[in-house]
Amino acid sequence: MANRRTYGPNREDPVRGSADTAMEFPRLLALLLIVLEWTRPGLPSPLRPICDLRVLNHFIKEARDAEVAMKSCREGCSLSESVTVPQTTVDLDVWEKKNALEQAQEVQTGLWLLQQALSLLRTSVSNTELHSHIDTSIRNLLSINAVLRSLNIQEYTPPASAVGLEGTWRASSATDLLQVHVNFLRGKVHLLLSNAQACQQDVS
Amino acid sequence: MTCDHLSRLLALFVIFCAARTGSVVQGARDFEKKASMLLKEEPKNPKCFAEGRKDFTCFWEEDEERAGSVDQYSFTYTYQNENSSRCPLRVVPAAGGKRLFICHLNRTQMFVEMDVQVHREGMLIHNRSLFVELVFFLDPPGNVTVSGTGQQGQLNVSWVPPPLKYMEDSMMYEVIYAPEDQHPGQVEVAQASSELILRGLQSGTKYKVQVRVKLDGMSYNGYWSAWSDPVFMETLPAEFDPLILSLTLIISFILILLCLTMLLSHQSICSRFRFLIKKIWPTIPTPDGKFQGLFTVYGGDFQEWLGQTSGGLWLTPALVYSEERPSPLEVLSELSLCPSLSSPPLPPKASKALSAVRKEDVKNGLDEREVLERGDSARTDGWRPPPHDHWLMDRLRELHRHQASLLESQDAYVTLSTSNQGENGHADDNFEEALPLEVLFASRKTVSCESHSDLGSVQQSSGSGRLSSQSSFEYPHQAWTAKGPLYTYMAVADSGVSMDYSPMSRVDDIGKVVFYAHDYKNEIPAHRRPLLSRQYPVHDEG
Repeated sequence: MANRRTYGPNREDPVRGSADTAMEFPRLLALLLIVLEWTRPGLPSPLRPICDLRVLNHFIKEARDAEVAMKSCREGCSLSESVTVPQTTVDLDVWEKKNALEQAQEVQTGLWLLQQALSLLRTSVSNTELHSHIDTSIRNLLSINAVLRSLNIQEYTPPASAVGLEGTWRASSATDLLQVHVNFLRGKVHLLLSNAQACQQDVS
Repeated sequence: MTCDHLSRLLALFVIFCAARTGSVVQGARDFEKKASMLLKEEPKNPKCFAEGRKDFTCFWEEDEERAGSVDQYSFTYTYQNENSSRCPLRVVPAAGGKRLFICHLNRTQMFVEMDVQVHREGMLIHNRSLFVELVFFLDPPGNVTVSGTGQQGQLNVSWVPPPLKYMEDSMMYEVIYAPEDQHPGQVEVAQASSELILRGLQSGTKYKVQVRVKLDGMSYNGYWSAWSDPVFMETLPAEFDPLILSLTLIISFILILLCLTMLLSHQSICSRFRFLIKKIWPTIPTPDGKFQGLFTVYGGDFQEWLGQTSGGLWLTPALVYSEERPSPLEVLSELSLCPSLSSPPLPPKASKALSAVRKEDVKNGLDEREVLERGDSARTDGWRPPPHDHWLMDRLRELHRHQASLLESQDAYVTLSTSNQGENGHADDNFEEALPLEVLFASRKTVSCESHSDLGSVQQSSGSGRLSSQSSFEYPHQAWTAKGPLYTYMAVADSGVSMDYSPMSRVDDIGKVVFYAHDYKNEIPAHRRPLLSRQYPVHDEG
């Protein structure tokens, strides 16, 4: 009842009581805090870099399992059309000459290509066991993207189309595709992660 | 001047050449070692391995006779999605009349499949598909150092990994260690680290340690390298654990204290020793010693034996003091014995049951009961007339004196006094003296001749005989006065048994009867004796 305004004798402007003026300050403060909360800069806290290579080793193992499963598949495991896959070749001299950005770009392009290819394989293949393997592989590729993000490697903007990209091959069979998948993870992705700048700082 | 320059140049050149050949020779030796190892390990042909980031070598073996010249062979390799290339070959003689054909590449591509084909005069002899990063064959780790950690049974092994960039995290190591002269050694694995602590080693022994390396097989793979040169190191000598030493000292100190207190607190060490021995290993007394010839000659027939022996046996209990503590149980009664007694119904059974129940007093119990049984059997067989009672008293006194001198401890004397009011009216000096260790409970055998046998059974249903026993505690070490001819005296030298002389005519009763199991330790202090006497419910007043 402290907010009750008392009206003056002539019913003119209401006279504000002493309690009202006392409550002004807390109200303003509350309003200020709410506004500040809304307008808080929305930058996420920096991710902790994932430098443990056992994560990647786990993905490599699962990719190998998928390759083995595909080799033993007889029916319903063929690729409907040929896909573009990244080249897995690594010449260490050539690789070392590239700077970190180029290496990251190469890896991210390859990951994107593999995602496209595996999605296509998922629709082509009718074997349910292979479905689980392919789903795992696609999930792992997305996880690798998250790992790269944690290493402060900038986001990758995929090209408009995969046709005509440099450093690519064509894979026409499912086994080739999965073999490329394994070799890519073992090679370029492993090299990139093991030499990531964010991890080097931790070590040194 | 020019000669000097020239000579200097010549010297430099010679040194340079020597160094080069030295390295070449060393390289060749290394290759020979690796080749010989691979020839055993790898079944496929050609054998290929990568030594570093770029070096790649393939070779195969041919017999001397069947091998052609180098020109006949061609080595082609093809990377995936690329054109094939040729590799120049060279020949090296090997042991056992063989030749090695070697191809060496300086640049390789990894993570891509490589097809290798060997043709001899157009014909394909070897074909292989491999990944370069999966056939690493590294040199053993260098600078292997073994040092102590400062703790017992531990050694610290450290090494330098092979200088391969990007691959140090993918390397795994095996450390083999053994005492110098032992084979085989124990193996420890270390992953992606360049030192290892060996634990659980013997103290003060010289150990031989070797290390080898291999890539872990995830991204890269290969063969195990050769073992590094052995390094020897001795572990710390065994030191005496201070904790064990202190505990040993304390325990031995306590034991010595115990021994000393035991020895010093008693006057006679011998008797203490004998007492201990008796407690730990009690001797089970046998009657053989007291009854010469009873068991050997007469086969236990007491009557026969009685007939053959005379009163000379009187002397035996007094004179014979064997190792075993004698428990002479004498009941001397002047009352007549009832001749027509039925066979003692219970003592054997009861005593056996008793002994079963009272295991801790078996020794003395058996002793007593044996004597008592004999007494029983003797009773039934008839008696000879006892001598005069004054002789009896003399005898008793002498025995008592003798016993008192022999048994310096305070033994319990239970005296059973009876007053016979039976019709028998025989002289109280009916007494069998020829058997000093017999128990003659003549008083119990009244007219009715109740055969509730347990000896010393005080509570009788007949009630015509009265047995009262008094504990010797009431006569503590004083002159044990003979109470007169009316009394039956039972002198019991008891070193631990306590008998509840209650009717145990039936085996069932045994469970219901309360046993007083207090031990007569010889060191019962004087002031406690009256207490003990209360536990003796052996009075039967009627």
